[in-house]
This record gives sequence, C-alpha cells and structure tokens, in this order.
Amino acid sequence: MTDVVSIPETEIAPGRVGGRMERVEDERLVRGLGRYVDDLDPPRVVHVAFARCPYPHARIASIDASQARAIEGVLEVLLPDDVLGRTGPISILRPIPEAPRVMPYALPREIALYEGQPVVSVCATSRAIAEDAVAALDIDYEPLPHLSDVEKALAEDAPILHPELGTNLLVQNPRGDGNPEAGLAESEVVVDDRFRINRVSGLPMETRAILASYVPGVRELEVVASTQAPHLFRKQLSDSLRFPEADIRVTTHDCGGAFGLKLGIFAEDVLVCLHAMDLGRPAKWVEDRMEFFRGATQARESLHVARMGASSDGTILAYTNHYYVDLGAHNSPMGSPMLSSLMFQGPYSFTHGYVERNVVLTNKVPVGAYRGYGQPEGCFVRELLLDRIARKLRIDPLEIRRRNFIRPDQMPWQTPGGAKYDSGDYQRCMEMAAETIGYGEARERQRALRDEGRYLGIGLACYVEMTGYPGSKFLGKHGAEYGAHEGVVVRANRSGGVDVYTGVPPIGQSTETAFTQVAATVIGLDAAKVRVIAGDTQGTPVNTGSFASRTLIAGSGAIERAGREIRDKALRVAAFMLDVPVDGLELADSVISSVDDPEISVSFADVAINAFYGHRLPEGELPGLEATAYYDPISSAFSYGTAAALVEVDPETGEFSLDRFLFVHDCGRQVNPMTVEGQLHGGIAQALGAALFEELVYDGDSGQLINGSMIDYFMPTTADLPKIELDHTEVLSPVTPMGIRGIGESGTIPPGAAVANALCDALAPFEVDINRLPLTAEYVWRLVAESRAHA
Amino acid sequence: MKPAPFAYERAASADEAVAMLDRYQGDARVLAGGQSLVPLLNMRLMQPEAVIDVNRIPDLDGVREDNGHVRIGALARYSAIEWSPIVGARLPLLSEIVRYIGDRQVRTRGTIGGSLAHADPTGEMALAALALDATIVVQSPTGTREIAARDFFLGPYFTVLEPADMIVEVRFPHHTMVTAFAEHARRHGDFCVISVAALGEPDGDAGWKTVRLAVGGASYRPFVADEASAALSNTALEPDAVEAAGAACVEAAEPSDDIRASADYRAHLLPIYVRRVLDQMKARRSQGAT
Amino acid sequence: MTQTLIDVRLTVNGEPVERAVEPRRSLVDFLRHDLGLTGTHVGCEQGVCGMCTVLLDGEPIKSCIMLAVQADGAEITTIEALNGEELHPAQRAFKEAHGLQCGYCTPAFILTSVALRERGLDIPREELKEELAGVLCRCTGYQNILTAVETYLAADD
Repeated sequence: MTDVVSIPETEIAPGRVGGRMERVEDERLVRGLGRYVDDLDPPRVVHVAFARCPYPHARIASIDASQARAIEGVLEVLLPDDVLGRTGPISILRPIPEAPRVMPYALPREIALYEGQPVVSVCATSRAIAEDAVAALDIDYEPLPHLSDVEKALAEDAPILHPELGTNLLVQNPRGDGNPEAGLAESEVVVDDRFRINRVSGLPMETRAILASYVPGVRELEVVASTQAPHLFRKQLSDSLRFPEADIRVTTHDCGGAFGLKLGIFAEDVLVCLHAMDLGRPAKWVEDRMEFFRGATQARESLHVARMGASSDGTILAYTNHYYVDLGAHNSPMGSPMLSSLMFQGPYSFTHGYVERNVVLTNKVPVGAYRGYGQPEGCFVRELLLDRIARKLRIDPLEIRRRNFIRPDQMPWQTPGGAKYDSGDYQRCMEMAAETIGYGEARERQRALRDEGRYLGIGLACYVEMTGYPGSKFLGKHGAEYGAHEGVVVRANRSGGVDVYTGVPPIGQSTETAFTQVAATVIGLDAAKVRVIAGDTQGTPVNTGSFASRTLIAGSGAIERAGREIRDKALRVAAFMLDVPVDGLELADSVISSVDDPEISVSFADVAINAFYGHRLPEGELPGLEATAYYDPISSAFSYGTAAALVEVDPETGEFSLDRFLFVHDCGRQVNPMTVEGQLHGGIAQALGAALFEELVYDGDSGQLINGSMIDYFMPTTADLPKIELDHTEVLSPVTPMGIRGIGESGTIPPGAAVANALCDALAPFEVDINRLPLTAEYVWRLVAESRAHA
Repeated sequence: MKPAPFAYERAASADEAVAMLDRYQGDARVLAGGQSLVPLLNMRLMQPEAVIDVNRIPDLDGVREDNGHVRIGALARYSAIEWSPIVGARLPLLSEIVRYIGDRQVRTRGTIGGSLAHADPTGEMALAALALDATIVVQSPTGTREIAARDFFLGPYFTVLEPADMIVEVRFPHHTMVTAFAEHARRHGDFCVISVAALGEPDGDAGWKTVRLAVGGASYRPFVADEASAALSNTALEPDAVEAAGAACVEAAEPSDDIRASADYRAHLLPIYVRRVLDQMKARRSQGAT
Repeated sequence: MTQTLIDVRLTVNGEPVERAVEPRRSLVDFLRHDLGLTGTHVGCEQGVCGMCTVLLDGEPIKSCIMLAVQADGAEITTIEALNGEELHPAQRAFKEAHGLQCGYCTPAFILTSVALRERGLDIPREELKEELAGVLCRCTGYQNILTAVETYLAADD
C-alpha cells in the first residue's frame, strides 16, 4: 500500500539525505574553474579535424591528400586504408535484441552512409591549419541513391544500405499480452492514427571532445573525454583500437552536458587516439557546432501507427502501437530506443496490448540515446489517443484517466509490455495537478471565453517511467556489454573525513553532491568532510556510468554498503581505543561517543589515523579504514506523475501561449529536493523545446540536413519558456536503496503530450487531431484551416 | 570551425577604408560589428582575401540631431541606438524595433551600417530604415552619395553597394506620426517570419492623412507597401480599408519557404499582422503616444 | 599557410597583455588558449549560444565572433576577474539558487548579470528574460537562473 513519507523538509539538515544541500560541484563551476576537455592544453598538443561526407550516401571514388599534406603544420593525414587494417569496428554497448550488429569502422571502407560521416582524419599543429588541410583534400564522391525516411527505406524498390542484411528493416521486436484484436472488436470507440515524432538533438552546450596522450615504450594511452561513462569508453576504445584496456586511462573531469548523447565512443574518438599514438604527441579534437549537427547522434525520430479502443464508459480495452524508428545509417553504442515498447502501457490498467518496434536503417546520422529514450514518444501517442477517446465519448480527460489508472492496491503490476511496476499512487499526482491548476475553474473560464471567441485549452498527460535496470543478469540476457551495478571505494582520510571514489563523472546531474549526502548520512559525518573523486578510470571501481536514471539508485546502494562497513569498523576500533563495548557507541557529526555518556568519545579522525597506523587495534582487526562495495539493483523502480498545461490559441494564426505549465511527480525518496527540482526543470525544458521548437529537418530530395546550425535549430532561450510549477509526492520504492526512484529523465516524458492535448482541447470546436511534433504555430494553423475546409 | 586565412587591415578613416576596399577589387569585406560577418567567416561560408576593420574610424558612431533629421553614424551600435534619448524622443519606432534584433550581446556589437549592408530580408533595421524613409549615406573612392532606403535593397543579402562602397551614415527625417510594429518569430530574438511596421499621420478626430506600411520577411527584400499605404491614407482605417491594405501587401509580397515558415504561412500571416499593427497604431493614438 | 602576425595590446581583467596573433584568431580562442583563461567557454562559434560571453569595456559581447585583433586597446573582463577565496555575489547567487548544473554556461550568465547590475536598472522578470536570452542553457530550463539573477540584482551592495 501507499507509504507516503512526511518528514517536513525543514527538519532535515542540508547535508543529510533529504536535505537541500548546496552543490559541492558549484564552488569550481561558478568560478569558471571546471575542467572541460578543451580547457586542457598540454605542451606540444596537436589538433584534429575531419573531412566529412557532404552527401547522404556516396561511394568514395578517390582521395588525393597530397596538397593537404604539403601544408606547413600538417602532421598526419589518415585515409580509410590507413585505419581499417589496424582498428576493429566500434562496438555496441547495448545491442538491439535479435538484430544483427551493424557496426561502423572509424572510417568507411568505400561507401559513406550519411552526410557528416568522417572520411579523412587530419592532424595539425592548430585546428585552423587542420581545417585548411581538410579544405585542401581532393575527394571524389559518387553520390548514390539515398533514403531520407523510414517509409522510403521500407519501400519495395528501396536500395539496400547494408547489402549483407538484404533489407533496411534491421529488426522487428514484438511485445504484448492478451488479445488486442478482440479488445478492439469489443470496443465502443476505436481511434487510430499515424504519429510522427520529430528528429531532435540532445544539444549539450559543450560538444563532444577528446584529448588523447600516448607514452610510447610504456604504452600508456591517457584519454580525457567528455563522456557519461568513462569505464565504458575505456572498454570500447580498447575494443576498437585493439589495445589492452589495462593500458588505457579515461578521465572526465567535467562534462558540459550529455543527456545521453555522450554514451560510448564514436569514430572521431578512435581517430584522435590513432593520431596521438602515431605522433607521440597529445592530440585533441573538440567538435565544432557544424560537425555536431552532422556527426553527433540524433534522437527520437519515429513513426507510430497506433490504435486504442475503449468501452462506452471510457475504460481502455486494448491498445496497439506499431512503430518505426529511424535509426540512421548504423547502430550507435546505445542502439535504438526500447522504452517506447517497455513503457507503452503508461499508468493505465488495460490488459490487451501489443507493441512492435521496427528498427529501420536510413541515410541519416545514427540515432543514439537521449534523455527519456523512447518514453516521451510513447507517452505522446498514448496520451493523445486517450484524449481522442475522451472527446468522442464526451468524457472529461480528467475523468477518463481516473477510470483507467492502475490502483496502488494492484501493485506490483505486470504490464503487457514486460515491465513490473513496483509501487505508486498514480491518480494522486493527477488530482494534485488538477487542483493546483484549478481544473474546474479553468473549464468554466474556457466556456465563458469561448463565447468571446477566445480559445482556452487544458491538457493533461500522465506517465510511468522505468528508472534503473532490473539487475545485471537482466542486462546480460539482453546482450549488454555492461552491468546494472555501481561500485565505490570509500576511504577514510586523516582529515576526519572520507574520500568516495566513483567512476560516475560529473555531467551536471549533481551526483557529487548526492553521493556526498548519502555517504555523510550513512557514516555519520559532516557533509563537508566527504570528498567525491569522480570520473577517472584509474583508481575507481569498474562501474557503469551516468545514464538510464540509474546512477543514484545503484550508486547510493554501493555507498550505503561501503559506508556501513566503514562505520562498523570505526566503531569497533573506537570501542577498543575507549575500552568500552561497541554496542553502546554511535557515530554522529564525525565523533564516536557513548550513547550513555557523551564524554566518552573519540573523533572519527583519530580513529582513522589509528587505523592507518594499526597501533591499537582489536585482535584480528587489520589496519586501514576503507571499503569497496558494489550494489546490483534487484528491480527497476518506476517514477510517475502528471503534467498539466493551460494554453490559449488564436485559431486564425495558430499562435498560442503556454499560460501555465505544471508537473506533479513522484521519484520516491528525494536525496536532495533542490537538485530533484533542477533535474525536472531541465528535462521539462528539453521536452518543451522538442515539442514546440526543435526539429532536425532533412531535405527529401537532396537528403541533406537543412538546418544544421545554432542559427537554424530552434533551441529555446530564457524568453521562450514558461514558468514551470512543480509539486510531488514521496512514495518510497520498495525495491531500491532508501526507496529512491530515478528522476533524471522524468521531465522529458509528458510535457509534449500535455501541450498537444491542451491545444486539441482548446480547438475542440474545430475537431482538430494533432499527430506530429513539433507543435509550431504554422502546424496548428494548418490543422484549423484543414478542419474549416472540411466543415 | 576556424576561418580561412585572410589579411587584416585597419582603416583610420572612411577614405582609407574605401581605398583599401578598392585595392582588393571586391575580395575584401568591411568588418564593422561583425555579428553577421564573423560567423560566416568561422563557417568558411565566406573567404575574403581581406577584412577591413572600420571600427576605429573616429566620429562614425554618433547619434545627433541636425536640421530636421536624426543622423546616426554607421558604426552606432544597436544598444547605443536603443538607449539613445534622441532616438527615443524623435524615432520611437526605431527604439522599439531595435529591441527585436538579436540579443543583448549582439546589440552591444552590431552596428546600423553593418546591418543595412548585410541586407537580410528579415532584418529589422532594414525594415526600420524603409518605414522611416531613411537616407543611406555611402562613401566610395570617388566621393559620397545618398541613397533612399527604398532604393537600397535589391535582394537577399544584396544591395546597390559596389565593392568599394561603405555606409558612413543613416539619416532619418523627423516625423510626428504615430507608429506601430509587430513581428512573428519562431523564438525570441530570432530572424522574423514576417514583420510589419506602420506609421500614420492623424487627421481630424479618427482619420488618418497618410499611412505608410513596411513589410519584412515576406519577400526577397523588405519593402514599403505603397499600394497598401495608399489604401489606408485618408481613411479612418475602417475594416474594408484594412482588408484592402492587407490584400495589397500580399499582392506585393513574394514570400518563400524556409526553415522558419512556408511561403503559404507567411502570406497568411501578412494581412493579419497588418491588421494587428494598425490596431496597435490606433490604440497608441488614443493613448496619446506618437 | 602561415599568416602575418599582428600585435595586440589590451587589458584583460585589469592586467596589460601584449601578444602577436593571427588575424583569424577569435577573441575567445585568444583568451582561452593564448592567455589560459579557460573560464570563458565555446559553444557554437556562430554567435548564437553565448557561452563565450565576456565584457568588452563593461558590456557583454560574444567573443567567438570578435577577432582578437579587434580587441586591441580594449578592456576585457572574464569570469576569472571575479574569482577569490569568497564567491562574488553573483556567483554566490547562482550557487544558492541552484542556478547551474553542468556549469558550462554559468560564467556567461554571471558576466551578463554583472553588466546588467552595472546598468543599475530595476528590471521586471519579463524584461530580464530578454536581457538574458543571449546565453543558452540546456540543463536548467532557466528557472533557477532567473531566480539567481533576480536575487543578485536585488541584493544590497
């Protein structure tokens, strides 16, 4: 049953779990003293630039690099033949189940498969000279017929991009349960449509970047990279370079945003390492924004063909969704989004469901992970169809959801998609959202304003989000080349604190702060006494990284175990030093003292120093005060919530204002409510960006990206986003350490659907049905104009 | 993303600048605020042999009143124009429009001369120059000449300027008209989809003697909508006059498709924005604003 | 393609600097890689994202679209000018409001705010949003950035 924790926030000390601690990351970051890759300029550093294919599909007939090589300052030019013999393909961390692995090499053998694919790699004494050399290359391309979308790629006569596959349909993954066709046949109302989800970019402010240094003789490859997962980066570099992983060190000091886009290695990373190894000089590549839009993984684009049926009272009887992911030219390290399938049910209790993922190869930049990965797309389709049913049955969208929610007493809930929801009160979040937005009054105002010719709309969208993996064994069964766990080393220091070593790099998600709070709480230290050393494969336990809303779940589990081990040993050593029984001692605020007589005490620092010296230890106790611990999740935890939007639309132009936007969620225990809010703000902003502004547009004829610059890709500014109102419940997850559910991705999931539903609600008199993103004024205008034309 | 090599020349006077431009025979670019030029250099979309930095030319950035005109030096920055009390008092439309250009950082550096020479068809400054009937003073190796704004723009990023020409001043006549402006953009500070500026001279209680409409984003260049203006002059902006003006604007426009909007949508928005701007103008008149 | 170097003399964070630079060197590359002032970041080199914001004679500019040679004689302020053992009030406001996540855009927002405060205006939130629209942030949704800047602008000296 629902277990809502109700400790008032004010009673929690900031440095404890649950407290609003200011971030430890910020002391360096607000001073501009973060160390992003391009901040490092080691002596003799050289710079890399790439010639990239200007066509979506082309045969590389010839390459003449003689003029480029002749430029003063050019040190090395690597052509495909120079690279193919000495490197392996770029491995895939998370293969697509049942799909052949389509793995690219650092440079293409003969055929370039997308605009922007690196074709030649140049290293020079400056980036400007490297670019001069790229411009001086004479590359003869023979353009080939290209495929710019999934429909073209699946057409009968489509050219096959990877001849060895014999098809452009990489794989078809069905999931489901019950009898959807029977459910639909039984339904009073069936709605169906084709939904187009836009291709967008995660767009971190810091682009991809790598600095590689090689020490010949000792054969050490030192890499500083902007990545979410240094240990996985190291593994993949080793795979592709055919170089022992033991001799590679990967460090991420600071990372200027990642959002899924910086998972795993890419062709450029391999090439930069080759230059560093060949030249014996540190080699650096910092992606420029032109390269970014044509080289960094893109996201989300998919076509969903979906049907939903309901009985006359609005109970969903069946839901099916066949969707087609536009993967681009080949696999990225993180394959294609799976969560549109796994989470297709959302918070509703229907039992007849079928979802089918079709992964399609096209001549575009490969799709990779992006915050929410499949869940915003699935939520959009499901929530819009549900609202259409509500409109057809004249049931209020709020009421139809009430009739369909999975109830707390039905937990755990096994979905037709294959997920097992752990716990939660889904309806409660929606009711809170409705109350805060003033749902009833808004409906009245809507009616009143309509008489004045003004169109107000209220939109809701609900979601359930899978956070964390259900264990390493689960990932193993699915062929992943990593585990679900996190590992940490916690080591006492002579200053009365502990150092926490983690492979999780700082990518903006406040993990240094959250880990500090967990360690301080578990051990009994001042937060100021905890130092987190993050993101360096040297000296941290082999771990997984920062993605899949799993970091804090797995990381806090590991810190909890290591912390307890240290605390228990510190108490044993202290008992020996104080000559009292261990049972009566406690560790709080960095002091170990007797519960009965606080005068009997010793500082954690003195205990640690004594443990290091080993001078006065109980019989059988070894010196040192540190612990290494791993935590492997037993199950995924499911976050959930509701977004609500209030819009006013001008049907004449399609222009609309987003007058209110609020989000009520549950992420279980909040280790730091302040950073939870920050994660939501960011996720929601990215969702609203993708829903209202952003789209990577490819020209159907040329197959080329039309808007590959910051000038033409409409990322929202301060002045483009509404105030975001937040509220939450705190139902602890029964399956994770401290009851934590992940929060990093939640914000991305329902906002687009909520705004779309609000628009349809506002424009109900015109009976418009939204079926694509982004929701531009022009698109809304077209919907109204078409509706008027048919009327 | 680094520029191709170029020579850098710094001009100490307008005479020297045009002499330098002349010497490079069309293969040099004037560097003023650089807010459009330098991105193009960075992306190597433009690879001139030389850039002529005119920022050090003295006395070219002033805003002053002179004999019924406001004279703005070509190097006056957008922020300076935005905050100029003279512009605020004499050319409120310009004060209003300049805030739609780029963002604060861009307005710190961008110049009026650079903007007009760049001739972006969606550019707000070009629209203001047209609406306010500005005169553009151009220096060449053979002397200076004055060009009416409406004769200045030929097409997208294309003006009557010759390779060795440089804008030195923009001259705006004083006016006592009521003004209004509106634009549709995909996001804040972005290039507009369409923009409309209006000026009107009140006549009697509710009448308007002359009305002038200028339109941006709806054609290969911004333009003064003469027929629409004529349709509104000597009216009280009654609905049918407004409708006729909107239709005349659409007739005069040659919108095109781009990433920001389709030609259809631009054509659709145009009469609506004409109506909105005229409504705004009427409202400002009744509030006593000019 | 070695280019003629051009001498520049300028003041950076109060200190005189003299260097010879290639004409094509941007001001931001000059600050970061010639002077080692890496607190100013690069996001697009297209004059849009604002990561490279520094103050030129007290006003915010995008240093990726200004050439280093153009800064001859100028006074440039970067985030490093604010740095001490104690945080500058603007830096403190960002930390307290959780106005940053990855930190990449933060110096740009802080310098833009410092220039705003110098102008001494009482700016309503809607206008403040426009004043800050020249710097993009992908992490925070700008919510806490606005709060931080408002707090900083409203604080007594």
